[in-house]
Amino acid sequence: MKFIIRLAFQNLTRYKRRTIITSFAIAIGLMLFIFVDSMLQGAEKESELNLKRYETGYLRVLHDEYWENRLMRPLDLSIEDPDSILADLESAGYRATKRITFTADMILNSADFPEEGNLSVFVQAVDVERDNEVFNFGETLVEGRFARKGADEVVIGSWFAEDIMAEVGYYISLITRGNGGFYEVMDLEIVGIVNCPNPNVNRTLLMMPFDTADYYLGMDGAATEIDIALSERSNLESEAENVARIVSGYSVLTWRDLARDYLALAEAKRGGTGTILFLVFIIAAVGISNTMLMAMWERTRELGMMRSLGMKDSSIRLAFIIEAGGIGLIGAVIGTALGCLANLWLVTYGIDFGFITRDMDIGYRVATVMKGIWSVKTIVTSLVSGVLLSMIVAYLPTRKALKMDIPSCLHHQ
Amino acid sequence: MIKIEGVRRNYKTGETEVKALRGIDLEVTDGEFLSIAGPSGSGKTTLLNLIGCIDSLDDGEITIDGVPVSRMDRHAKTTYRRENLGFIFQTYNLIPVLTAFENVSFVLSILGVGQEELSERTYRILKEVGLEGMEHRRPDKLSGGQQQRIAIARALVKQPKIVLADEPTANLDSKTGEEILQLMKQMNRTYNTTFIFSTHDKMVMEYASRLVLLHDGEIASDTRRE
Repeated sequence: MKFIIRLAFQNLTRYKRRTIITSFAIAIGLMLFIFVDSMLQGAEKESELNLKRYETGYLRVLHDEYWENRLMRPLDLSIEDPDSILADLESAGYRATKRITFTADMILNSADFPEEGNLSVFVQAVDVERDNEVFNFGETLVEGRFARKGADEVVIGSWFAEDIMAEVGYYISLITRGNGGFYEVMDLEIVGIVNCPNPNVNRTLLMMPFDTADYYLGMDGAATEIDIALSERSNLESEAENVARIVSGYSVLTWRDLARDYLALAEAKRGGTGTILFLVFIIAAVGISNTMLMAMWERTRELGMMRSLGMKDSSIRLAFIIEAGGIGLIGAVIGTALGCLANLWLVTYGIDFGFITRDMDIGYRVATVMKGIWSVKTIVTSLVSGVLLSMIVAYLPTRKALKMDIPSCLHHQ
Repeated sequence: MIKIEGVRRNYKTGETEVKALRGIDLEVTDGEFLSIAGPSGSGKTTLLNLIGCIDSLDDGEITIDGVPVSRMDRHAKTTYRRENLGFIFQTYNLIPVLTAFENVSFVLSILGVGQEELSERTYRILKEVGLEGMEHRRPDKLSGGQQQRIAIARALVKQPKIVLADEPTANLDSKTGEEILQLMKQMNRTYNTTFIFSTHDKMVMEYASRLVLLHDGEIASDTRRE
């Protein structure tokens, strides 16, 4: 065994250039693996955080039938007495807030806007005193101020403002149907523009005071949802069960239920990126396989000699597989080191994808800079897979060479 | 004793069947220094390969010390070669990344010989073949003759019953070739190892104590001399 290992490692130095080139191919593959995986995991982690902080909260209490009809944004499927539920939740130690969400037609008139027009919007009416206990809009204001309680005011997302060329002080009109089906028109002044790390929010947000919406929509104090914040370390499912006991009669959904579409998209992206990484690995595998095939071809007579002298095929195979594992190890160590260096940069500075996310929804809830994360699992996977992959792909060429009869091996030119 | 009875070996080259050996009968007693000679294509190497259990015959039988080696399966032949046979090749076939010592000692490694004994036997045989002081040189730092000495040491270090050498001097100049033959002869006498080597070089034939001349796969003559 000692001899086999020594022979394998001595052979690594035999064709230094080839060993380096093949190791380099593996290293590049693994570096890309670490880099892309880190970026994806970072984007997913950041997206989840931004979903919870700006879109869904951690838990949401809804009327039992609301979720099935959510696309209609029904105002009648509401929580009738949200304040008592909020009080119960607060006494149980939860941070929670009420909201009314509804759809409307937004009218832009030429008095303020360069162009007249209308578009469908999604409006969130928030409790201006409590909303920041659950959501994180506090630090996101880039212009103006937040809407005041009871005022006919609205805050909009920064990209939305750019798209419609809105400025603080402009007025918009919202035409919607109130609770019961009556038509209502609200003239609201844009008092603030927010820019947060969630591109969806920047692109679509229209946020008005809860009591203003309550008045216009005839909600009689009802809310369409109650959103709850949890700490990151909380057990989501058990907290959901706990809240469900407090708010009996209503449904409690976790952010994972609410962001099902995003999670499915993230899963699909992982699959797609996995395919790309798989291809990178295949390229590295072909490189190793080719190197081993060349090594076999060049050492056919040597193989014949070793077999003549009674060395077992399994020992010869093992020597070549260890040799390939050595190439894989060099590649894996270099690739992991390069990957960690690249990742250090990615974790510290990240890549600014603002130029894409501004105009295109890429699915992730990251507005500009995507940063990586450190994952021990990825680094270990990289090291182990580099070595294992090399050893596995060396098997076939070795098997092929060992199928040749010994006299042919000995007379191989 | 090696007993070869009615051995035939055919090869297919494309559509053509080549009859490499056409019924060889031969007996080789222990400790012989036998040369198989003949022109190219006469079947010398094929016969050596069959005796060396690295090829399979089509008809006939080969027994070594009563063991029907030609009937063995692949694994049994490997084991038999490992334990009983030594090989010397025309092109030395040394492992270039290993030193002279390692090239010789690996034969003992695969036999499972312990480190101390392996070391002692390897140094001793390298000394006997005249490579003392060169144990840690790699083949590329040695001459052709010195490389073939390593090959001889490698063949003999396990003290095999039989050493088979396929044209062992073909790649050497005549002076070095003669030195190698003298060394082989000396080893033959020292260890009473049976040496069977193929050649078409007259000078080499002169060294043999028995000369078997092959022609078109048949024994044309079998001459013993002292």
